[in-house]
Amino acid sequence: MTTRRLQQVQPPQADSEAVVFDGSFDVVVSSPGRWEGKVSLADGRTVSFLAQRAGQEVHLWIAGESYVFIPPTPVARSQRAGQAASDDIVCPVPGVVIAVHVAADDVVEAGQDLVIIESMKTEQIVKSPRQGTVQRVSVQEGDRVDRGMRLVVLVPLSEE
Amino acid sequence: MAMFSKILVANRGEIAVRVLQTLQAMGIATVAVYSDPDANAPHVALADEAYSLVGSTAEETYLDRGKIIELALQCGAEAVHPGYGFLAENPAFSSDCAAAGLVFIGPSPETIELLGDKIRSKEAAVGAGVPVVPSSATWLPGDSPPDALVAQIDLPLLVKAAAGGGGRGMRIVERAEDLAQALESASREASSAFGDGRVFLERYIPAARHVEFQVLADSSGKTLHLLERECSVQRRYQKVVEETPSPALKNDELRHSMAASAVAMAQSAGYTNVGTVEFLVDAQTSEYYFLEMNARIQVEHPITEETLKLDMVEWQTRIAAGELITLSQDDIQSTGHALECRIYAEDPYSNFAPSVGRLLSWRPPSGMGIRLDSGVAEGQEITAYYDSMLAKLVAWGPDRQSAIGRMLRALETFPVLGVTTNIPFLLRALAHPEFVSGDYDTGFIAKHPDLTATPDSGQLQAAAVEIAEGFWQANGSNTARRETGAAQDTLGPWQGLSKSVFP
Repeated sequence: MTTRRLQQVQPPQADSEAVVFDGSFDVVVSSPGRWEGKVSLADGRTVSFLAQRAGQEVHLWIAGESYVFIPPTPVARSQRAGQAASDDIVCPVPGVVIAVHVAADDVVEAGQDLVIIESMKTEQIVKSPRQGTVQRVSVQEGDRVDRGMRLVVLVPLSEE
Repeated sequence: MAMFSKILVANRGEIAVRVLQTLQAMGIATVAVYSDPDANAPHVALADEAYSLVGSTAEETYLDRGKIIELALQCGAEAVHPGYGFLAENPAFSSDCAAAGLVFIGPSPETIELLGDKIRSKEAAVGAGVPVVPSSATWLPGDSPPDALVAQIDLPLLVKAAAGGGGRGMRIVERAEDLAQALESASREASSAFGDGRVFLERYIPAARHVEFQVLADSSGKTLHLLERECSVQRRYQKVVEETPSPALKNDELRHSMAASAVAMAQSAGYTNVGTVEFLVDAQTSEYYFLEMNARIQVEHPITEETLKLDMVEWQTRIAAGELITLSQDDIQSTGHALECRIYAEDPYSNFAPSVGRLLSWRPPSGMGIRLDSGVAEGQEITAYYDSMLAKLVAWGPDRQSAIGRMLRALETFPVLGVTTNIPFLLRALAHPEFVSGDYDTGFIAKHPDLTATPDSGQLQAAAVEIAEGFWQANGSNTARRETGAAQDTLGPWQGLSKSVFP
């Protein structure tokens, strides 16, 4: 198999190398930045697909599922290499900050509520992915936030 | 009273489009209103006239009663259709309309106010001889300990907000020692959401089905029921899939007695226009209980329209214009089976987290018995300002099995790109043996984690990778290197989807 050029970012996938593609696909309609076609799968099914480019993203629809791929970047690689490389807790959805539950120097446990975002009339609780100390909080109540924006910086617990 | 010549639709999205279409078919001039992010939305293009509400948030725009009434008067509209949500069940808006000489297409302010209060509406139900779930008196922080309340209601029980709706201020309590905390937190949530911290206890019915009856009432008091809708597939107390007839009503005896209760409830509330009486049905005993009555057109009204072959928005408008219902109860005969799937912009694999972005591809399916009520168009930006429902896919078939088959085919042939949708979840839910059997309840989604589990690595996944690689080679790889530096900003957001950051 050739070297992978893309990294799957949606849906989340633990290990996308597990199954080797054992079928064939045909591009039926091709226009700049867009493919439409059919895939024959190993189980005998034939399903349609639609691929479209948006900036540096490849959006692919296939048999009801949607995928998003991006070329690997230094940022993405360090993310993959291990969580220790990044201590930024980023916003999962765009919206408005309706509550901040932590302050600088707080010690937090894995799973503890950090920030609550309201998006599309729904509350989204951003929890701490691990134990650590809050180095700084980058948002306050009422702030409008975008997906990917830094909310909280966590550092590992100081060793004592 | 003559039919209106011009109506303002005070809503957005699919329901605004839906209402505008009927009004235009009736030969009525139409007016749309819109927020800044909705300037290019389909309802704006569809209406004969459209006016900006200036602003982005719901509070600044679709909830601003003064702005909407002023625009309606300026453009010479005679009536306002509120759709659902926003101002649809706001008694102050309904009375403001009346004071300004505009007809509000819906029930009277008094009826809206009565039905909006869970305690008062329950009392009205009891008065009308409609069965209700046993519940306690209300409780507020600072009141005496809730022990006395628990004595009236067995565990497990529900803590509910008196002014509630949409699951806010609601808690399930299974152990007596958890009650105090549940009361406090539910009251706090209710207070911030509705400005009313009153909560009460209600018996919890674990294997409950949510079945509602549509009613139609005119100003003379004539009230018909338009049969039922089954709404038990829910996440976060919000409906996702609805169908009619309900597989829960296994005999017409139960159906008739629930229908009679719905009509009695509507009459006791002095209801006019279309409304919906919601019930819980105990799957074990087939006993039913009044839950609430919704004083508006319901999101899921199309399945009733498909099986009864009538236009609910047309009836709303005619009743508001003072026409009397010409149908009789015997005219209400259901044909076949209809299902509705709500297409939400949300990620089924991340606990249904909302998703926003530009709709790169939106190609609605078609075919025998398929209807799509949609409020979006390809290229449109889906924002975080409003709720996440993009459209409603409706399938009708001569029987339940064929309706499910048509729905599955339609979902499979509905490419949506740019925004993550719940379509993969809907495909799994409708094909699930428990759904297919018809024997499901409101615990359906929670009970089956496989419905929302990240897809396994399989042939489809492998094919996706292969196609994406080939596509990128042909459509992107040359420019990829050049743009890598600039790409960092756009790529950054995807880190947010990391599961560890957002469990």
